[in-house]
Amino acid sequence: MTHLSCEPHCYQPEALHARDLSVRYEHHTALHGASASFRLGEFSAVIGPNGAGKSTLLKAMLGLVPLSGGEVDYGGSADLQPHAAYVPQGQTLDWAFPVTVWDVAMMGRTGRLGWWHRPGPADRARAEQALRQTELWELRGRHIAELSGGQRQRALLARMLVRDAAVLLLDEPLTGVDTTTSQSVLALLRAQADAGRAVVMVTHDLEQAAHWCDQLVLVNRQVVASGTPEQVYTPANIEATFSVSHLGSAHGKA
Amino acid sequence: MTEWLTDPLAFGFFVRALAALTLVSVLCAVVGSWVVLRGLSYVGDAMSHAVLPGIVAAFLAGGNVLLGAALAAVLSALGMNVLQARSGLKQDSATYIVFVGMFALGIVLLSRTPTFTSDLSHFLIGNPLGVTSTDLWVTAGAVLGVGGLLLGLQKELLLASFDPTEARAIGLPVRRLEQLLLVLIGLVVVLVTALVGTTLSVSLLITGAAAARLYARSLGQMMLFAALFGVLGGAVGLYASYYLGTAAGATVVLVNTVMFVLLLLARGRLARS
Ligand SMILES: Nc1ncnc2c1ncn2[C@@H]1O[C@H](COP(=O)(O)OP(=O)(O)OP(=O)(O)O)[C@@H](O)[C@H]1O
Ligand SMILES: [Mg+2]
Repeated sequence: MTHLSCEPHCYQPEALHARDLSVRYEHHTALHGASASFRLGEFSAVIGPNGAGKSTLLKAMLGLVPLSGGEVDYGGSADLQPHAAYVPQGQTLDWAFPVTVWDVAMMGRTGRLGWWHRPGPADRARAEQALRQTELWELRGRHIAELSGGQRQRALLARMLVRDAAVLLLDEPLTGVDTTTSQSVLALLRAQADAGRAVVMVTHDLEQAAHWCDQLVLVNRQVVASGTPEQVYTPANIEATFSVSHLGSAHGKA
Repeated sequence: MTEWLTDPLAFGFFVRALAALTLVSVLCAVVGSWVVLRGLSYVGDAMSHAVLPGIVAAFLAGGNVLLGAALAAVLSALGMNVLQARSGLKQDSATYIVFVGMFALGIVLLSRTPTFTSDLSHFLIGNPLGVTSTDLWVTAGAVLGVGGLLLGLQKELLLASFDPTEARAIGLPVRRLEQLLLVLIGLVVVLVTALVGTTLSVSLLITGAAAARLYARSLGQMMLFAALFGVLGGAVGLYASYYLGTAAGATVVLVNTVMFVLLLLARGRLARS
């Protein structure tokens, strides 16, 4: 494991702070004044109904959608990679693309290597390690079209690991994955947090989130509640997060 | 026994044509692979028309026709990209707006030409047998320059093509890379145009790469196969035109197309067996 040595981060444990984020799409406010903190060494789950703005929250924190208000602050991770590693929701990628599992893992090195540089032995060793962790090492030579859905998800996970980022943002990594794989993915993410990273995962699985995560963030256009599972899972919070029909609000006043 | 192979090689123009087609096939393999992967074939098509005003203007001004075409290609490439970003239109619409405009400009300029000389028509229809040794050097330079550039930027282009969101998330200049690619497509189309003419140039750019995609499991393989198919198609087409007395450029394109269909059918076989 390439452990993040705990030197600078232990003193600046807040890796990522989202302050009053608002995101407007053309006709709809997806997020309205959402605030949350994610600390190094913590595994957090972002939970909420469909359309609540969970994916938008991640994208906003990555700078992938423009903010109409608020700010995102990457605390003590300036000496690590400035950008967080991200695994997007669903499989919007072109899986017929001529790349192998190995190539996908290697893509995680792109930012670190910099322009004109080719991967060296250290980069290859990192890719091998990530592929072993995601149990894809045997399949490294496979064309990605020949992978199952769960294996594709794991290939993206391997790429994320290879990036060696301090902050990991995953959008529904457990969706479409069988129970065994889902357990090993959760264990892997837990280990990443224990190694000193800030891990943030969007999920619909409240039970698993309570079992594996340090912090839960309930989202419905804003952050309804955040804290440990015991603090957050109150009937009032669950009600506020899930019972308001979100389908209606999409057309209502933003 | 092998005389039919060696006989045509006695002619300088034939050897130059063979060399030019080989060089261009390698160039098209490298650039065409990106074109096919990113679904930019229509840009190649548009580009082959958008160079017309550059050609005619250079001709009217007595300048270098190739240079005029290259200039028009670069301008169109950047124009398409800016128009798309400004208007929020899909790229195909933005591309065709620019290309039809450029093509119309070419026709308007053409209507000002006193006589439609054979020089100009040569360039529009293309002729591999008219390749000069200067053309060869220019093409060889382009292969090295463009090939080297694309090889150097391969991992960035790969990520930006396969997963643009991730590319943006790690801070790659995705739009700049796209512009670069459009400009390179333009330049390659110009070079190919001199061989097979504007209307057929897209074929060389994409057919080899498209055939290679059927079989390749990695990008490197795709480019290698595309180059092999292209070189083979060029040679077979050239010999065929020599013995059948047909137009060389069109024959090469036809051979490429037939080869693509055969490779497609062969893959169907492989998959079933
Ligand atoms: N690109 C977009 N343009 C316009 N509206 C969008 C866009 N992306 C999301 N939205 C809207 O913003 C709201 C929040 O979307 P988001 O994808 O963040 O939800 P989510 O919580 O991730 O939902 P899910 O659980 O279904 O993934 C939704 O109402 C959605 O329709
Ligand atoms: Mg989502």
